[in-house]
Amino acid sequence: MKIIENALARGAGNLTEYESKRFLAAYGIPITREAVARSEEEVALKASEIGYPVAVKGSDEAFHHKTDLDLIELNLKDEKSVRRAYHQLVSRSKAKLKEVLVQEMIAEPRELMVGLYRDPQFGPCVMFGLGGIFTEILQDTVFRVTPLTRKDAMEMLTEIKGKKILESFRGKPRIDRDKVADILLALSQIGKEQPAIREIDINPIKLVNGKPVAVDALVVFSARAL
Amino acid sequence: MNDMNLENLFNPQSIAMIGASANPRKWGFIILLNILKGNFKGNVYPVNPHEKSILGYRCYASVMDVPEALDLAIITTPAKAVPSLVDQCGRKGIRFVVVISSDFSETGPEGARLEQEVIDCARRNGIRLVGPNSMGLFSARSSLHAQMPPIMPLTGGVSMFSQSGNLGFQMLGWGAEEGVGFSKFVSSGNEGDLSSVDYLRYFAADTDTRVILGYLEGVDCGVDLIHTARAISKHKPIIILKGGRTASGGRAAASHTGAMAGASKIWKAALRQAGMIEVSTSQGLLDCAKAFENYPLPKGSRVGIITRGGGWGVITVDGCEENRLDVPPLPQNVIRKLDKILPKYWSRGNPVDLVATIANDPYLECLEILAAWDGIDAILALGAKRAIDSYPYSKEVHQPQPLVDAIALATEMFQHYAQKPDEVLMNLGQMVKRYRKPIIAVSLASELSHRSFLEAFQVVSYPTPERAVRVLGHMVDYTRFLNASSE
Repeated sequence: MKIIENALARGAGNLTEYESKRFLAAYGIPITREAVARSEEEVALKASEIGYPVAVKGSDEAFHHKTDLDLIELNLKDEKSVRRAYHQLVSRSKAKLKEVLVQEMIAEPRELMVGLYRDPQFGPCVMFGLGGIFTEILQDTVFRVTPLTRKDAMEMLTEIKGKKILESFRGKPRIDRDKVADILLALSQIGKEQPAIREIDINPIKLVNGKPVAVDALVVFSARAL
Repeated sequence: MNDMNLENLFNPQSIAMIGASANPRKWGFIILLNILKGNFKGNVYPVNPHEKSILGYRCYASVMDVPEALDLAIITTPAKAVPSLVDQCGRKGIRFVVVISSDFSETGPEGARLEQEVIDCARRNGIRLVGPNSMGLFSARSSLHAQMPPIMPLTGGVSMFSQSGNLGFQMLGWGAEEGVGFSKFVSSGNEGDLSSVDYLRYFAADTDTRVILGYLEGVDCGVDLIHTARAISKHKPIIILKGGRTASGGRAAASHTGAMAGASKIWKAALRQAGMIEVSTSQGLLDCAKAFENYPLPKGSRVGIITRGGGWGVITVDGCEENRLDVPPLPQNVIRKLDKILPKYWSRGNPVDLVATIANDPYLECLEILAAWDGIDAILALGAKRAIDSYPYSKEVHQPQPLVDAIALATEMFQHYAQKPDEVLMNLGQMVKRYRKPIIAVSLASELSHRSFLEAFQVVSYPTPERAVRVLGHMVDYTRFLNASSE
């Protein structure tokens, strides 16, 4: 795949968020509407195309823990705040910020996470769990060795302790389990077809009308592939 | 590498004991003694160039001098001597070697180099090798106790491979106390050549083996383990204790997924996907072995509970919930049947609480009603055997006379019961066969009496409901696997 080849050719250890999501989208994984922008004017233009509110994130392969680096501005409701956010990100960024990602905001409190991990003994494994800030706090995750069957994928969803998150919650619809299983199966497929990839995080996955959408993603290469 | 039939390893006709010693403190003496005292059915030849005879057996300077063809050699010499001894075994035509000697890859890079040399020698000579750093093996059919600890296991249908010799042999020792009999055991040591997966394959094909146990810390190729085990699990249960569950992944991960993919979570998934039953304690290995070998599998997850006391019923229901088991309410027709036996104020629920009834007949009648009810797949029978076998107060009381008489009567009653075969357990064992449902008994009795319940009445029992309910949870998980894999 071109995205992978280009990134490996430039010696990158991982794809940027934008590239990661383009790559995942090629495997049928739904992603947020978003665009890369390189100037204040471009940020404002893209934000109006996507529609407010938007998020603006520092986008670079070196910035894969954007929250830790304080390179995210969320829930920007108009052009003025988008322009201000762009300048704030540029000034906070220690390395030179070449580009930012303008992204639709999804208002949904429930956050899931899925991932791929190439285990030295068992090969590619797929992960499902609670996402967002709870990822590290609760570590409520379950793994399967690939290849995954649809039955495996559906079982994984009910195996986390916080499985109630899948049900309807405070007026929000129940989560479309088949669509989440589709993502897990896509990751299983990626594990088989993309030997250069060592790890993938899709975190968080948020929900639009109960359907999962990848809001942030990271694709990491094996050292050998470089 | 084609000869995967390990028959002559576990049931050899003739063995050379290389490094046999006259010093009772050396493994070369102890293992030889264990083989001889274990009444091995074949011939044993001690090999040691410095001795004329050991334990009354003629000692040979080398395997080459042994007048018979040999199936198996056991080596206990210092590590450095092992490569050339393996070469000699090859020249003698020996196909299997157990290397007890340690100081190989477990000690560092130099040991690892020596181990590789040993393995190279074995491969050159077409030898399959157990260990190095093995504690030996046991086989019931040929009465072979080629093992370091002097343990006399019960004979039965359980076979085990263990990456810890100590832990594994302990299972054979506990098994003898708890009524779990073994067909074969191997301490796989460093697995320089033969691996857990090889033993798994052999036990799968072995008709004496009905249940496979394994203690695992790691394997070279996890994918191979999964593929092998998944095929075997469809016809034989494999029960695994995984050591090193809490160890985190071997290297720093760049993603959250990688960071959370600790050994524990991936192993748990892998074992489960292959239909293996993962237990979390050493005791759990034996507890499962006992039930899987002796009882039919439950067809589903619905459990009936019978108890002589409320609290035990309550914690058993909790345990069912925690072990993926269902405790369905009683339907009207079952309640009507139980109404005829139990006092008016009984709870009319599952667990069926006998409300402190100590008599046997109501217990058995209620048990049979539950066993016959098609709404449940298994039964946990709490208090199936009275915990108290003798009256404990007799010696201390000397007056007044009516009390002394009453104690004498009570003592006599207990003696009377103690002499009779246990009615509840006897009938319980028959109900398991009649209704083809596992009825697991729980009784506060010593481990040794649980063995006697199994031997006398074919009743599987445990001293606590927690242990019983965990075993039942694993049985139901296995049923689920079998159902899913036959879909």
